[in-house]
Amino acid sequence: MANGWSIFIGLAIIIAMCVAAWVFAPKGENQVLWRSSLILSFVSCYLMWAIAFLAQLNPLIEPRRSDLRPEYIHH
Amino acid sequence: MAQAQDTPFRSAEMSMVQLYISNEIGREVVNALGELGLVQFRDLNGELSAFQRAFTQDIRRLDNVERQLRYFHAQMDKAGISLRKIDLDVDTLAPPTTSEIDDVAERAQSLEQRVSSLNESYETLKKREVELTEWRWVLREAGGFFDRAHGNVDEIRASTDNDDAPLLQDVEHNNSAPDVERSFSGMNIGFVAGVIARDRVASFERILWRTLRGNLYMNQAEIPEPLIDPSTNEEVHKNVFVIFAHGKEILAKIRKISESMGADVYNVDENSDLRRDQVHEVNARLNDVQNVLQNTQTTLNAELGQISRSLAAWMVLVAKEKAVYNTLNLFSYDRARRTLIAEGWCPKNDVNLIKSTLADVTNRAGLSVPSIITVIETNKKPPTYLKTNKFTEAFQTIVNAYGTATYQEVNPAIPVIVTFPFLFAVMFGDFGHAIIMLCAALAMIYWEKPLKKVTFELFAMVYYGRYIALVMATFSVFTGLIYNDVFSKSMTLFQSQWVWDVPEGYDGHQPVMAKLRDGGEYTYRYPFGLDWRWHGTENDLLFSNSYKMKMSIILGWAHMTYSLCFAYINARKFKKPVDIWGNFVPGMIFFQAIFGYLVMCIIYKWSVNWFPLPTKENPHPVNRNPPGLLNMLIYMFLSPGNIPPGEDLYPGQAFVQVALLLVALVQVPILLFLKPFWLRWENNKARAKGYRGIGERSRVSALDNDDDDETNGGALHGDDGEGLAMISQDLSGQAGEEHGEFEFGEVMIHQIIHTIEFCLNCVSHTASYLRLWALSLAHQQLSAVLWSMTLGPALKSTGIGGAIYLVISFTAFFALSCIILIIMEGVSAMLHSLRLAWVESFSKFAEFAGWPFVPFSFKSMLEESEELKEYTS
Repeated sequence: MANGWSIFIGLAIIIAMCVAAWVFAPKGENQVLWRSSLILSFVSCYLMWAIAFLAQLNPLIEPRRSDLRPEYIHH
Repeated sequence: MAQAQDTPFRSAEMSMVQLYISNEIGREVVNALGELGLVQFRDLNGELSAFQRAFTQDIRRLDNVERQLRYFHAQMDKAGISLRKIDLDVDTLAPPTTSEIDDVAERAQSLEQRVSSLNESYETLKKREVELTEWRWVLREAGGFFDRAHGNVDEIRASTDNDDAPLLQDVEHNNSAPDVERSFSGMNIGFVAGVIARDRVASFERILWRTLRGNLYMNQAEIPEPLIDPSTNEEVHKNVFVIFAHGKEILAKIRKISESMGADVYNVDENSDLRRDQVHEVNARLNDVQNVLQNTQTTLNAELGQISRSLAAWMVLVAKEKAVYNTLNLFSYDRARRTLIAEGWCPKNDVNLIKSTLADVTNRAGLSVPSIITVIETNKKPPTYLKTNKFTEAFQTIVNAYGTATYQEVNPAIPVIVTFPFLFAVMFGDFGHAIIMLCAALAMIYWEKPLKKVTFELFAMVYYGRYIALVMATFSVFTGLIYNDVFSKSMTLFQSQWVWDVPEGYDGHQPVMAKLRDGGEYTYRYPFGLDWRWHGTENDLLFSNSYKMKMSIILGWAHMTYSLCFAYINARKFKKPVDIWGNFVPGMIFFQAIFGYLVMCIIYKWSVNWFPLPTKENPHPVNRNPPGLLNMLIYMFLSPGNIPPGEDLYPGQAFVQVALLLVALVQVPILLFLKPFWLRWENNKARAKGYRGIGERSRVSALDNDDDDETNGGALHGDDGEGLAMISQDLSGQAGEEHGEFEFGEVMIHQIIHTIEFCLNCVSHTASYLRLWALSLAHQQLSAVLWSMTLGPALKSTGIGGAIYLVISFTAFFALSCIILIIMEGVSAMLHSLRLAWVESFSKFAEFAGWPFVPFSFKSMLEESEELKEYTS
């Protein structure tokens, strides 16, 4: 489902959203406000997600714990 | 005339306009412009003191009316009559006519007289009442003395028969005496009765004792109820005293002493019948006085009640009128032609609106003389006018708190609208806390109108920033989901990418490691945010610290690069190519060569599989050691071109790093020298062609003859005073410096400072973004601790006790979550985010050398006035 290509798929989606925000921003004196705020929000959120995703793409360490209950391990 | 629309992106274009208004309609014009709120007038009478100005008389008169209105308010407070406040959002008071103002002034005058005379008579009556009350007490208490004393007259008598015996000393021992005349006068004993404040009794007694050498008999009684001093309206406790003494002179002395001690002496008759009559009389008079008093009070209250209904409106009218005259005082008044000349800044796009307003006022007044408005060219720096709306207002305020953007430079508030709340959210990432905050923000926006009236200062501040809170909370919801934190717990939204690798015969106490669900074949990774399996593991922090630190660096790099791009837009706008080639380009290259490279390395390191699985082509892959990026960056500077074996990130790394380092170093001299030398070359070229710097002093336009400090404007003067009465002076000290003579040294020093600052800041600002990691770590750990101290143990307990424990600990958990984790942590994250905006971002592009546009506007005047606060709701 989610593999390394997700980053690029996400990027494509975000670019599409940015273009949409640019095109569909309401006209008027606040158009610049709409465009800049929407695009900046999309890009920021994408960055945040992409960083979290990349950080787990090739994990260098694995989770470890000593307090697992034996009943829980099948999950 | 097609003009660019004014947008919040940069300051609206401003024009200096000059108005010629006939003197008769000056007031009306200013009124109309005040309602419009688009013109900021300049003071054209800078050399005149406040007293010399044309409309000072009117202001004085209005001051007086204002004083009278405040007097009424004070009187109403005293009488406990509440004021009918006016709501500025609902009652839009039409601009008053002159006669209305006169009317108000007249009414205030007569009302003041009435109120003060009523007050005066009230006070006199009150005084009378107190006197009568005191007298009544004296009669009552003294009567008591007399009645008691009469029973003892015989004893007293006995002592006085013997001339050598002290007057009163042996009263108790001589109780054998024949029949006596039942009167004091027979004994030649007189008395003084009166009332004195209780705290003075002791000294009064002492003084009397000393002056009369003990030849008196003093009797006193406390008045149980406090009396009211009419002059101060304070309660005073008083005592009634009766002093008996022998001889007229002594009595006169006692009177004098009592008067000097502030006692009131009252006439009391010794005879009990007469005294009874006196009491009756006093009572009757007291009744009368009280009746009159009540009537006066009612009249006064009725009068004040009537005033209270319109007082607030009057106050607003007078405040507006005063503002109008204060503005008129800024205008230059031409007595000969009876015209007012005004100058001011206004948005270029609104000149037409102002024109039509002026024409409107002139027509309505039916004047044949038209009012003229002309736009004048000036080299003065216009004020910065950044349009805001309900949403951007608070964001603009936090930017303006740092400084006013230079005229026409990119409004720093534009990126702040997103970056400030987003960086806040990176530090505040907790889904649960964010939802609570979101609810609060939405509630404030939903009940926007009723909540606007709340005057509690702390709440008003939060309310003012409600839209900031909304955006902050929205982003926090997102970052909370990314961090997978809800009140420090995790959400299992998707299947984990890890499965526990449980050894055979697991007994619940050995450490268990997880392994990738897909065995490292890239078929499944946790799709959104952090994998919940990390929660509660032993090495959770090891992973999340590395992730969050790298995230901080990447976000910081993105934020600063984005901010730096505005420097390019500014340089383009101001048509200064030298700023592009001398500042923006080398700066950008320097920054990207070092920190852009670091970010690339971070992403590269994440995307490489350091422990590949064996494949067909490569059955025995080499597990490389992932190198530390921090050391890599440090050794890039310390020993360029050397990569310790086994520490290499990618082939050819040494060469790339040396190249980048050289590129970065080359930018430093470019940054240092390109701009100053270019400016010098340009200046020399111009000078060689014989140009001089124009307007080496700041001028608005030609001037009338009384301006004496013009030295280079002689040619422009033309005929003195012909048609143009223009006033020129420096708007501010800075305006004149703009076109000062080119000084290479100054420019060079400026550029050196800029270069050093920029290069050092690249490093320190990048490091500064690590606060994102630190704060988000702190927030997460704090909420984990709170959970483990309150709800965590409570959920383990059972039974009724457990239920009670759960309720209590949930209350504590929720309260502490709100107070510490949302409010305190939120404020701290906000301050850190504010710093990132102010320092790290703004220093890259904004100059902040503007001055704010503050138009003359009734609306903002009434909103900001502290004095009117108590009259408006």
